[in-house]
Amino acid sequence: MAEKPPPKPVSPRDWESLTEDFRHGGARREKWSCLYPSLAELALSSILKKEFPFKIPLVIFLDEFSHLLFPSNSISSLLDRLIEDLRTTVQSPIDGAHVNYALKEQMMVSTTSILISTNSVETVEVRCTAALVELLLAVINRPNHGPDRHARAIACECLRELEKAYPCLLSGIAGHLWSLCQSERTHASQSYILLLTTVIYSIVSRKLSISILNAAVPLIPFNFPQWILGPEKEGSGIGIGLNYKELRRAMAFLLEWPRVLTPCGMMVFMRMIMPLAVALDLQPSMLKVQFFGMINSFHPVLCHVVLIMYSQFSEAFNEKEKEIVRRLLFVSLEMQQYLVFRLLSVHWLMGFLNRFMEHGVEMEKKSIIKMGFMFYPHLFDPLSLKAIKLDLLAFCSICMDALKAQSGSDMIVGEGKSVVKLFQDGLISVSAFKWLPHWSTETTVAFRTLHKLLIGSPHSEADPSATNKLMESAFYSHLKGMLIDMILEFQRLVPVIVAFVDRLLGCQKHHWLGERLLQTMDENLHPRVVIDYRIVSYFLIFDRIAENQTIPPRKLLGLLTKFMAFLVEKHGPDTCGKSWSHGTKVLGICRTMLTHHQSSRLFLGISRLLAFTCLYFPDLEVRDHARSYLRMLICVPGLKLRGMLNLGEQLLGVSPSSHSESFFSMQSPQQYQDPKKSRNISLYIHLERMIPLLVKQSWSLSLLPLGIGNKSKSFGGIRDSEASIDERELDASIPLRITSGDERVDKPWVPLYVMDSKVSEILEVLRRHFSCIPDFRHMAGIRIKIPCNLRFDSESFNHVRGGESPKSRLHGVEALPALYATVLKFSSPAPYGSIQSCHIPFLLGQPPMSDYIHDETASLDIDATYVGSGEEEAYKAPVAIEFEPREPTPGLVDVFIETYVEDGQIICGKLQSIKVGIEDLFLKAITPPDIPEDALPDYYLDVFNALWDACSSTSNTGREAFILKGGKGAAAINGTRSVKLLDIPADALVHATEHYLAPFIVSVTGEHLVDMVKYGGIVRDIVWKEEAFGLLLDANTSASELNRMPLQLTFTENEDERGSELAIGKRSMGCIDILIFLPPMFHILLQMQVSDVSTLVQIRTDHWPCLAYIDEYLEALFLT
Amino acid sequence: MAGDCSIRALWILNNLDAVVFSRRFPAVEKRWRAACQSENESSENDSVKYTVFSSLPSDSELAAAFSDRKTREGSVRGFGIRVSQSKEGSDSWVDDPITRHIAGFYINREEEGEDNLLWPLALHIKGPYCILILPLVEPRHVKAYTRLCKRSDCGNAVMADENLSSLLLDLPSITGAFMVAHAIGDIITGDVADPEVIVSQSPSVGGLLDSLTGSIGITGISRAKPVAAPVASSVPSGAAAIGALASDIPKSGSRLLDKDALRSFISSSMPFGTPLDLSYSNIFSIKANGFSSLDIPPQDLKQPAWKPYLYKGKQRLLFTIHETLHAAMYDRDEIADSLSVSGQINCRAELEGLPDVSFPLTGVGTSKIETLSFHPCAQVPERNVYKQALVFSPPLGNFVLMRYQATCSLGPPVKGFYQLSMVSEDEGAFLFKLRLMEGYKSPLTMEFCNLTMPFPRRILSLDGTPSIGTVSNAEHSVEWKIITSGRGLSGKSIEATFPGTVRFAPWQSQRSTSFRSVLEGTTDDDSDNEPENANNMVNIEEFLVEKMNKDLPPVDLEEPFNWLAYNYAKASFKIVGASISGVSIDPKSVSIYPTIKVPVELSSQVTSGDYILWNTLGKCPSAVNAEV
Repeated sequence: MAEKPPPKPVSPRDWESLTEDFRHGGARREKWSCLYPSLAELALSSILKKEFPFKIPLVIFLDEFSHLLFPSNSISSLLDRLIEDLRTTVQSPIDGAHVNYALKEQMMVSTTSILISTNSVETVEVRCTAALVELLLAVINRPNHGPDRHARAIACECLRELEKAYPCLLSGIAGHLWSLCQSERTHASQSYILLLTTVIYSIVSRKLSISILNAAVPLIPFNFPQWILGPEKEGSGIGIGLNYKELRRAMAFLLEWPRVLTPCGMMVFMRMIMPLAVALDLQPSMLKVQFFGMINSFHPVLCHVVLIMYSQFSEAFNEKEKEIVRRLLFVSLEMQQYLVFRLLSVHWLMGFLNRFMEHGVEMEKKSIIKMGFMFYPHLFDPLSLKAIKLDLLAFCSICMDALKAQSGSDMIVGEGKSVVKLFQDGLISVSAFKWLPHWSTETTVAFRTLHKLLIGSPHSEADPSATNKLMESAFYSHLKGMLIDMILEFQRLVPVIVAFVDRLLGCQKHHWLGERLLQTMDENLHPRVVIDYRIVSYFLIFDRIAENQTIPPRKLLGLLTKFMAFLVEKHGPDTCGKSWSHGTKVLGICRTMLTHHQSSRLFLGISRLLAFTCLYFPDLEVRDHARSYLRMLICVPGLKLRGMLNLGEQLLGVSPSSHSESFFSMQSPQQYQDPKKSRNISLYIHLERMIPLLVKQSWSLSLLPLGIGNKSKSFGGIRDSEASIDERELDASIPLRITSGDERVDKPWVPLYVMDSKVSEILEVLRRHFSCIPDFRHMAGIRIKIPCNLRFDSESFNHVRGGESPKSRLHGVEALPALYATVLKFSSPAPYGSIQSCHIPFLLGQPPMSDYIHDETASLDIDATYVGSGEEEAYKAPVAIEFEPREPTPGLVDVFIETYVEDGQIICGKLQSIKVGIEDLFLKAITPPDIPEDALPDYYLDVFNALWDACSSTSNTGREAFILKGGKGAAAINGTRSVKLLDIPADALVHATEHYLAPFIVSVTGEHLVDMVKYGGIVRDIVWKEEAFGLLLDANTSASELNRMPLQLTFTENEDERGSELAIGKRSMGCIDILIFLPPMFHILLQMQVSDVSTLVQIRTDHWPCLAYIDEYLEALFLT
Repeated sequence: MAGDCSIRALWILNNLDAVVFSRRFPAVEKRWRAACQSENESSENDSVKYTVFSSLPSDSELAAAFSDRKTREGSVRGFGIRVSQSKEGSDSWVDDPITRHIAGFYINREEEGEDNLLWPLALHIKGPYCILILPLVEPRHVKAYTRLCKRSDCGNAVMADENLSSLLLDLPSITGAFMVAHAIGDIITGDVADPEVIVSQSPSVGGLLDSLTGSIGITGISRAKPVAAPVASSVPSGAAAIGALASDIPKSGSRLLDKDALRSFISSSMPFGTPLDLSYSNIFSIKANGFSSLDIPPQDLKQPAWKPYLYKGKQRLLFTIHETLHAAMYDRDEIADSLSVSGQINCRAELEGLPDVSFPLTGVGTSKIETLSFHPCAQVPERNVYKQALVFSPPLGNFVLMRYQATCSLGPPVKGFYQLSMVSEDEGAFLFKLRLMEGYKSPLTMEFCNLTMPFPRRILSLDGTPSIGTVSNAEHSVEWKIITSGRGLSGKSIEATFPGTVRFAPWQSQRSTSFRSVLEGTTDDDSDNEPENANNMVNIEEFLVEKMNKDLPPVDLEEPFNWLAYNYAKASFKIVGASISGVSIDPKSVSIYPTIKVPVELSSQVTSGDYILWNTLGKCPSAVNAEV
C-alpha cells in the first residue's frame, strides 16, 4: 500500500470505525496492516484507561482478529501485556462505572480465546497459558460466593475451553475441580459440572492414568502438565489404563445433576457423557431412564439429544422407537413451533427411519414404518411442510414396498393402504395444482412428490428386475394414466409435466423412465387428442416425443399432418396470425424430428407433411420453410442433415463431432478463403458429363469468333455478307449490320417468283415450321440441357485440405467430407448466351474405392435419402448445364465452383471445362401445337421433304423469308449439301442409328429396311414406306444429283464409278430420312441410302458450318 | 468433540444486504481448521480430491455471497425446491424445502479456488434483519452436502446412501444454530416478551424482570420491550397476516440495531461460541441485576442454571390456558369441516425456594388431545403421560409449561356458511348465515367477533345490511364486526345473517412478470395457449378464475396454499372463561413440595387462529385426514 498509513486510533469513535474496517475486510482492512503490532498495543492500553467507554467491543475486536493483530514476531510481549491487563482488570474492584463484571468476564473470555487461537502454548511459552489458568483457577476457587457467581461461571467456561484446546491440561487438578463442583450450589453450578465433565472426558479419551480423587497437588500455583508439552502428546500418558473406579464414581456424581442444566448445557453435557458411558462400560439403560424423558420436551435441542442418544445406543433403546417416531411426528404438528423445527423434525424422522430400515429389528420394521402413514399434511401446514410430509409418505410407501418384497408372501401389512391411494390422498392437500397456473407453488410441490414417489427406491440400472417391477407396479400404471388424464384435462399442466419428464430424462439413472413415460404418452395421447387450436398447448410434449429416438414418429406425424390440414381448413382473415404461429411451431417439431431421427424412419411421413404444407399452407413463410426442409430432407443424407439443422445445441445421442459444429453458427466472421487450398480443386472436384461425347477431340475453338458479348456481331462473324437471316430489330439500341436486308424483307418480292403448286406447298410447310421456332432475341429461346454429375474424391479432398483425417474418429458416412451450398457458375466463349448457375445444397465426398462396399452397408441412411437411386449416385449431385445456343457450334463451357466445407471455409475455383458437342444440340423439330398426335409422323416427313427441297441448290425458296415465332424476326434458307459414304454393313448402321439417332428419324423406306428397323422396335411413330418406288425414285434423284455435285469426286475417285453406283443401286435396301433441328433455327437433313455393305449419306443443311461437325460426328458414330 | 452446538460465526444483515453486525469465534474456528487439516490429510489418497472452504469470509465477502445467492435462488430464502432455474450446485438443486432455512453460500474469493462453499448457514429472517449462523460441523459433512447439491441425478432420493435427512439427524449443531438465530432475532427486534399469564386483578403479569424488580425492590430498570405483544409471542404462526402475501423479503424497519445489547447477550450466552443458555430474560436480568451477597444459594440443592434467582415475597401460582382455534368450515357434504386447537398452558410460579409443583392433567386423558410437549423443567413420567400427574420445578417468571394439539370438544363457536357468487364480471352477491356460540354455556364468553372477507380485487362499493353488528370496507376487504368488544356474548347463542352485494373495479391484468417469473421460468404463453374464449367457459365464475389465475403469483413455501386463489371469510374472535379443548387444571389438586399452601389461579382464553369459512360456491383447499 503506497497510501500513507492512517492515523492511529485514539477515540472510541476511531476504534469503532477501525473495527468496522476489519470486519468489512478487503482494502478497508488492508490499509491498517502496517499498524498491526502497534494496534494491539494501543488497544491493550486503551482497555486499562479509566475513561474509555468502548472497552468491551475493543476486547471482542482483539479476540476476533487476534490472528492479524498478534503477529508472530511480537506475540510474546503482546500476550504478556494481555495477561497483565487481564490480571489488573480481574483484580480491580467493581466500581460500577469503569470496571464491572461484564468487562471482567469479557476480558477472561477474550484472553482465553486469544491464547487458544494464537496457539500460545506452542508459539510462545507455556508461561502465558499457565498464568491465565492460574488466574482463572483463582477466580473459580470461591464456590457459592455471592456477587461474582456469574463471573465464576464464565471463568469455568474459560478453563473448559482451554481444556478442550489442550486436552488433559487440568487433569492434574481434577480432584480440586470435583470438590469445587460438589460445593457449588448457585446457578453457576452448570459451568462447574461441565468443566468437570470435560476434564474427565479428556482423561478418558486420552486414557490418562490419574487419580481424580487426589487433591494433593495444590490448585495454585498451577503447574503446566508435562504430557501436553511432551513429544508424544497423543501418548498414553503417565500410567497404564484408566482408573475406572474413580471415574465411575465421578460419572455417578455427574449424572445426579442433569436437571440443573439448561437445554444447551444439556446438549454439551450429553455429547461428553455418551462416549464416557461407552468407555467406562456403563449401562446404556441408565442413560435411557435418566434422559429419555427429554423427548417430550418442546425444546428442539433436547429432542435432538435423545435422537443422538438413540443412534449411539440403539439396542438399549429398542422398543422406544415407536415413542420416538410418534414424538417426532408430533413436533411436526405443533403449530406453536417454529416452522424450521417442524421441518427438521420430519427430516430427523426420515433419517431415523432410514437408519432403522438398515439396522433396526426386522420384526419391528413394518409396524414402525407404518406409523409414518399416520401423518398426512394438514390443511394449514405451510407448503414446505406439506412437501416434506409428502416426502415422508413417499418414503414410507417405498420402505413398505421394500419390506413386502423381502417378506414375499406376506401381503397383510400395508393392505388397504395402497401406494396409489396414499398418493391420491396426499395430493389432495395440494389439489389446487390442477387448476392453478403451472407456475404455482402447489403445482411444483405436487409434481415434486410425484417424482419422489417414482424415483424413490434406488433401482439401479444394473438390475433389470427392479425396472420391470416398477413398470408392472400399480403405482406406475396409475401414474401414467393420471399423467395422461391430466394432460388432456388440464392443458395448463403441460409445461410442468414436460419439466417432470425432462427431469427424468436429464438423469442418467432414470433416463429410461422418462423415455417410457414419453412412449406411453405417445401411445395414449394421440388417439384422444381433439384436433383444434388447443392442440398447441401439447406442442411442448410433442417436441419431447419428437426428440426421442425410441418413439416411432409415425403417430405424431400423422397427428401433425391432421393439424396442418385443420389449420389450412380454418384459415381465414382472423386466423392469419394463428396459422403462421401454429404452422411455424409444427415445422419446429418437424425440425426437431429431423435432427433426432434417422431420415429413413421419417421419410414417408414427414415428406408427406412437408409436401402438403408446401402446397396448401396459407402462410408464405411456413410454406417456404417447409419447402426448404423438404429439399434438405431429400438432398442431404441423414447425419449431415442433422448437423445442419442443429442450431448449435448439443444433440441427444449424437456424439459431438465435426458435424455438430453448427453449419449456421459458422457465419461470416470466420469465413476466409485459402487460396492455396482452392488452387487445385479440379484435381478432386469433378464435373462430368453423364453422356460422354462421341467426338472425342475438339477443334471447334478454331471456328469460334471473338467477342461473344455482342450477339449481332457473333452472327456477322460467322456469316458471309449475304445474311441468311433477316433480323428485324425493333430495339434500336442493338446495332444491326444488315439493316438493308431488313428493309428488303419488309417489302418482300414475292410476286416476282414463279411459283408452282409444289413450291407453294413447300413454302406453306416451311412457313408453318418456322413459325414454331422461337426467336431467341425476343423471347426465351430453345434451351439445351447437358446433364452432368458433380462429385469429389474424399481421399484426395482430405489430402489437399490437409488437417487430420476425420476418419480417425468417425465411421462410415460420418467420416466423409461434405460440401455445402455449392454454387456452380458457367461461362462459355461459345455463343451459348448466358448460362444459369447451378446450386447444390449438399454433397458428400466419394469414399475411396476400397471402403466403398463397406460403407454401403454402414450408411443405410443415404440410400433412403436418394429414393431409387443407384449406389454410386449417393456421392454424385446431378447438375444440368442449360444454355440457349445462338449458333449450333460445339464449344467449351467453363465451370467455376464456390462452395463451403464443414469448417465454414469457402472453396472456389475453376473446374475442368465441359465440352459441348454437336450432338448435344440435336433436337427434334418443333411441332405446331395443333398437329394431332397421330399426324405427327406425316408432319415430320412433310417438313423433311420441304426442307430437303429448300436446301437444294435449285430451290426456289432461297429468297423467301420465313417469319419466326413472335412475328418479329424472319429466317431465310440458304441450303448446302454434302454426301458421305460409310463403309459399314447395314445392320451395324441400323444399330448405331437406332441407338443415337432414333428420335430424329422421320421415315424409313424400302421393304427390307423397314422390316429391319420396324422390328427392332426402337424406332416408332414414323412414316414407313415399303414401296420400292419411292426408293428408286429417290435413288435416281440422288444419283442424278450426285452427278452434278463436285463432291461426287471424293468417293468415285478410287473406284469404278459405275460399278459402285450399281453396287449401291443393286444392293440398296432402303432409305432412312433423318431430320435434326439445330437450335436456334437450323436443320440438318440426312438421307441414308442403306445397302448391305455401305451406306451413302446425303446431307443437307441450312447452316453450312455445321457440315464439318456432322462429318466428324458421322465418322465417330459409324466408323469407330 | 465437534458434536456440541458450537457456532463459528454469525452475521446479521439488513434489508439492503449489508452486514450490520457480525461476530466470529476464533476458538471454534481453530477447531474447524484443525478438523479441515486432518480431513485433508486423511483424504489425501482419495481419488476424488476436494478440500473444504476452510476460512471465514469477511463481512463484505459474505454480503456479496448473500446477494449472489439471492440472485441465484430468486429470493433471500430461495426456491427451496428444484425448479427450472435451479443450477447445479445451488441449494434448490437439492430439492428440499429446508434449504430455505439452511443455506449454502459460495464465497467468491480468488485465491480459494472452487471449493468455496460455506455450509450450513442457518438463515432466519426477523423483521428487517436476516440472521445467519454458521455452526461448526465436520468437514466431511460439508463434503457430503457438496456432493448432494452437485448430484447430477434427479435429486435427493429417499433411501439413497447419502441424504439430507441423515445429515441433519447427525448435526445437532444445526438445530442449535437455529435456537441461537431465533434468540438473536427476538433480541434485535425487541420481541422478547414472556408468555402471557392472566390474573384476575390485573390484566396480565410481566415476566422475570418484573417479578425480580418487584421482589428485590429495584425500580427504574426499564426493559427493552418496545413491541407490545398482546398475545403469546412464542406462537410464530399467529404473526403472519392472513390473506396477505407474507413476503420473503425482510420487512423494512427503522429500528436501529442495539449492538451493545446483542454483544452482551452473545458474550454471556455463548462466550466461546458454544451456547450455554439462550434465555434472554435470564441473561438480561443477570446483566442488569448482578448478584448481591444476600442471594444465598439453597442448602443441599443445586440451583438450576435456568433459575439464577430465587423468588422472595408473597407466594402464588398462576396458570393461563391459552388456546388457538383453527378451523376450515366448508359447509359441504363431500368435505368435512375441520377444527383443531393448539393450546398451551402458561404458568407463573411465585414460589420461594426450589419447590416441585404437581397436578393431574384433567381432560387430557380423553382422546381429544393429540400431542403433548413440555417445558424442560417438567419431569415427564416415562409411561403414559396422560394418567399421571405432571411434576415440574418452575423457573422464575412466566413460562410455557406445556403445549398440546387437540380437537375441539365443543362445536365451532362460529358456525354457518358463506356464499359468494359472481353475478357479473364485476359484481358479486354474497350471503352469510352464521350461528355464534351454539352449545357454549356460561362462563364461556365471546368477547368479540369479527369477520373479514379479503378480496384480491379492489372494492368499489358494498351493499347490504347485516342482521347484527356493523360493516365497513377497505380497499381490498370487507369487515363485519358482529360482536364488538365490551358487549360480550355469554350463555346464549345468536344468529347473524348478512346478505349483500359487492362491486369490484374493472378487471386489470397486472402482469407483473418479474413477480411471477420466480417459479415460472421461461414461458412464452402468447395468446396461443389461451383457451378459446368466454363462450367455452361453463359460467362466469370459471371465466373469472381463469382470468385471475393468469396474474396469480406463486406463493412462498411458508404459506399453506395460495390464499389469493380462493374466496373465503376469516373469523377472528376471543372467548374467555374456559378452554374449548377440555384441558383444565383443578386448582384444588395442585400440590407443591415441600408442602405449602398457596393460592392457585387459573384463567383461560381462546383466540382464533386461521378460522376460515370457505365460499361454499367456490373452490376450496382441503386435506385428507389420516386414519391413525
